[in-house]
Amino acid sequence: MRLSLPGGIAVAGLALAAVPFLGLPPFYESFLYLIFSAVVMATSWNILSGYSGYFSFGHGAFFGAGMYTTATLAGRFELPFLWTLPAAGLISALLGVGVGAVVFRLRRLRGELFALLTLAVTFVLATIVLNTPIDGGQGVSLSAVPLPAILSSPSSTLYILGLGMALLTLWISYRIYGSKLGTGLFAIHDDEDVAEVMGVPTFRYKLMAFGLSSGLAGIAGGIHAMFISYVTVGETFSIIVPLNVVLMSVLGGTRHWLGPAVGATVITGLLYGFTAGDYPVAGRAAVGLILIVVILFMPEGLLGRFIPRLQRRRRVTAVTAVTAVPPATVAAPAPAETLLKISGLAKAFNGLQALDGADVEVRRGEILGLVGPNGSGKSTLINLVSGHYRSDSGNIVFAGRDITGLAAHAVARAGIARTYQIPRPFAHFTVLQNVTLPAMFGRAALDRVAAESEALYWLEFTGLGDKADALPEDLNLHQRKFLELARALAAKPSLLLLDEVLSGLTPSEIEHAISTIRAIRDRGATIVFVEHVMHAVMELSDRIVVLNYGKVIAEGRPDDVMRRPEVVTVYLGKPHA
Amino acid sequence: MKPITRLILAAGGALLSLGMVLQPVAAAPAGPPIKIGSTLALTGPLAATAMIHKLTGEIYVEELNKRGGLLGRPVEWIVKDDQSKPDVARTLYEQLITVDHVDLLLGPYATGNILSAMGVAQKYHKMLVHHTLGIPSLAKYDMQFPAWSVGPDPATTVTNHLLDAFASVGKSPKTIAIVTSKFPSVYVMSEGMREVAKKRGLKEVLFLEWEFGNKDFGPIASRLKDANPDFVFVGALGLEGNQLLDAMKKIDYAPPLQYYMYPAPGPLAKAPGAEHALAGSIFEQHPPFTNNPTAAAFVKIYNERAAKAGLPDNAVETQAAASYSAWQIIEAAVTATKSLDDKVLSQWLKTHRVDTIQGSLRFDGPNNFGDDLMRLKQVQNGHWVTVWPKEWAAPGAKLLVP
Repeated sequence: MRLSLPGGIAVAGLALAAVPFLGLPPFYESFLYLIFSAVVMATSWNILSGYSGYFSFGHGAFFGAGMYTTATLAGRFELPFLWTLPAAGLISALLGVGVGAVVFRLRRLRGELFALLTLAVTFVLATIVLNTPIDGGQGVSLSAVPLPAILSSPSSTLYILGLGMALLTLWISYRIYGSKLGTGLFAIHDDEDVAEVMGVPTFRYKLMAFGLSSGLAGIAGGIHAMFISYVTVGETFSIIVPLNVVLMSVLGGTRHWLGPAVGATVITGLLYGFTAGDYPVAGRAAVGLILIVVILFMPEGLLGRFIPRLQRRRRVTAVTAVTAVPPATVAAPAPAETLLKISGLAKAFNGLQALDGADVEVRRGEILGLVGPNGSGKSTLINLVSGHYRSDSGNIVFAGRDITGLAAHAVARAGIARTYQIPRPFAHFTVLQNVTLPAMFGRAALDRVAAESEALYWLEFTGLGDKADALPEDLNLHQRKFLELARALAAKPSLLLLDEVLSGLTPSEIEHAISTIRAIRDRGATIVFVEHVMHAVMELSDRIVVLNYGKVIAEGRPDDVMRRPEVVTVYLGKPHA
Repeated sequence: MKPITRLILAAGGALLSLGMVLQPVAAAPAGPPIKIGSTLALTGPLAATAMIHKLTGEIYVEELNKRGGLLGRPVEWIVKDDQSKPDVARTLYEQLITVDHVDLLLGPYATGNILSAMGVAQKYHKMLVHHTLGIPSLAKYDMQFPAWSVGPDPATTVTNHLLDAFASVGKSPKTIAIVTSKFPSVYVMSEGMREVAKKRGLKEVLFLEWEFGNKDFGPIASRLKDANPDFVFVGALGLEGNQLLDAMKKIDYAPPLQYYMYPAPGPLAKAPGAEHALAGSIFEQHPPFTNNPTAAAFVKIYNERAAKAGLPDNAVETQAAASYSAWQIIEAAVTATKSLDDKVLSQWLKTHRVDTIQGSLRFDGPNNFGDDLMRLKQVQNGHWVTVWPKEWAAPGAKLLVP
């Protein structure tokens, strides 16, 4: 019987739980505790930063918040040590959620700004702790705090607490990794805006990940306070803490639940391996050199280098095992019924009026061509309807429900899907995973197995069936455009917004695309079709809306609208005498 | 000269020569080594000071083994690098005790690491002799012994002695400014200075704190200049003192009296504006300290070895002296009791004095701390000289108060 990776970890955990009973020198418990503590720190950091890509340099703050919670409650208020640990986790989690609730609302605070901001949180917290009675500058001693006799000796007690926390953290990380939350976080990592538009509740997911990440670090801090028994601000809130954690995670691989644990074990072991006093500096330099070499030649980390091969093998098996589901059902056409009603919609960017009081109506089951010259407001309209932008005024009613100002993920859940003019696939997802995500988070809201079946169907439909296991970078532009289409279709939307899906394609590819879109319509889909390839527009559209300078200047049947003088003027210019 | 007299003198001379040649030579130590274990911050932020302790330990063990070791057995010092981290120090002490099976323990460097090591020593009932614990009130273990003799309450005694010194030359300040790092062992002393100053009627015209790691001392210097105190007490750690001096120099400010808590002694003495600056010390390499032949011999070899090792400051002062004293404490206890039993050694130390290069130490006070042996030193002509109390002052030196 082959043991799975989580199964192996569980068995290893059980074996490690027996260490205190083996009669080994207690040193081994202390040394292993150091590894467990590092595993908790690196793995918990990775839940937010590795999975979602929000690189935090503030993990020391949450670790420190936990340390000082335990130090204060146990050292000053003489609460039993174990009782302080949930409090340490809770305080740190609340701190993380509090910080996240502010910074995650601001789109500009991504990337390096987020990293700097979390680092600043560390310094602010250190200042508060240092200048209040929490520490006051003299440190907090825990030497008088009794350790509960979970096992026979204090070392064994701390060991078993450390092991328990490491296993719990790994289990949580593993469950998130394979869950809807994990998929959403990885999507946020690759392209947060697209993830949101495809139905991932990005704000809530990031907040959950931040709370879990910081809460686990807080509990680890609470245990560590007892381990060192004297807590000072300088050592607790040192920049070394987050740097080590980041290094461990990057070394092990941030895109796998086990990667940070591997990195933490390797680095802690290496550092400890060079504690002999003869050549300490040479030892540290050797550790540094090893890390540089590994990171240079394995930028995806140790597991990033080896695990994808395993995963790919498994994925191929999965793809062949899952049979494509019957054609996705869409609502039966009822052409007269209004599905989307846009009234007086306006949006300006830095004074430039991109959309100026547009009124558009989309009827169920039709293909509405949205045309106009560059800068006329077509893509802005798509972005407003899909929730990517907020409108300045006007309202959008979809299927009888006012969705004006609704978050993009809620719009997606309501049944609107879109493609991007320039394909924006999730770069680290396979083609199958790219299509599975909207099936899980969009209107269909399927579980993972059903979503994969749905995705496989639409991959076959768009001719990408044999590319399921490929990464987006392996696709040509034509295939990427169809990947966009497959992603939108997999959400089982009531309304499909296609933004210049034909641009950049060769004539034969365009013909293929036209027949595909026609096939989609034949299944009863409602489509808003933004396009510059006019013969495709004329061929596919039931009705056309023409935009110019953000206003609707014409609307009606294609052959009728395109003959109107004002439309001809927009496209060909005014005739000169 | 009568022949008989000549004969007697010749015989005497021969005997003397023979005596010089036949000075008691210790028997070479034999048997399994006595293992003494410790950690030091050989890498990380505390490494610069820890190297002083490593060099001192190596010198001491070499000399000890030349003298015949302990109990006739050679001494082996197992020193590990705790990387300036308390959690690593704790684990290494557990390794020293339960895996390396060392006979005796010597403490690490820095308060946090010492307290971590102390917890392990307590768990295994091992004696711990340590050299530079800055906060005696935290040393609750009854088998720990401090080699840095600052007394059980240095925040009160050291600061009182300082004001006593000023009073002894009739120059008691009326106003005081205290500027301090919030590094725990420094901050405790600064808080003590504050209390003592208040009790002795000094007017506190300024109290400023900075966080450890602060690099911008310009605003602090300006505030000091504005406050214009008679005496500035600087709770600085290492080169922070130099940085503050630089900042004061830039704005042409020189306090009438300035005391630095734990400076980097070499760089501070050479800094512009440091003339007449004061600091505490348990040892300086001048008489009367070096009247002790053991101290003189150590100073000589330390100076040579420190230069060879490329240490930035080759002089023996508080750190090296405390480190040397720690070894002297262990040697004295083992030699007197002829035992390696931690309880026996601890019991002996609690009831006996130990002569060290910093003076006679006792361990019968609160938390095993004895007398406060901190003296006052001053930068004079670019060099540190002990100036107070008078019996420890360098020859011809006295406290200079402008």
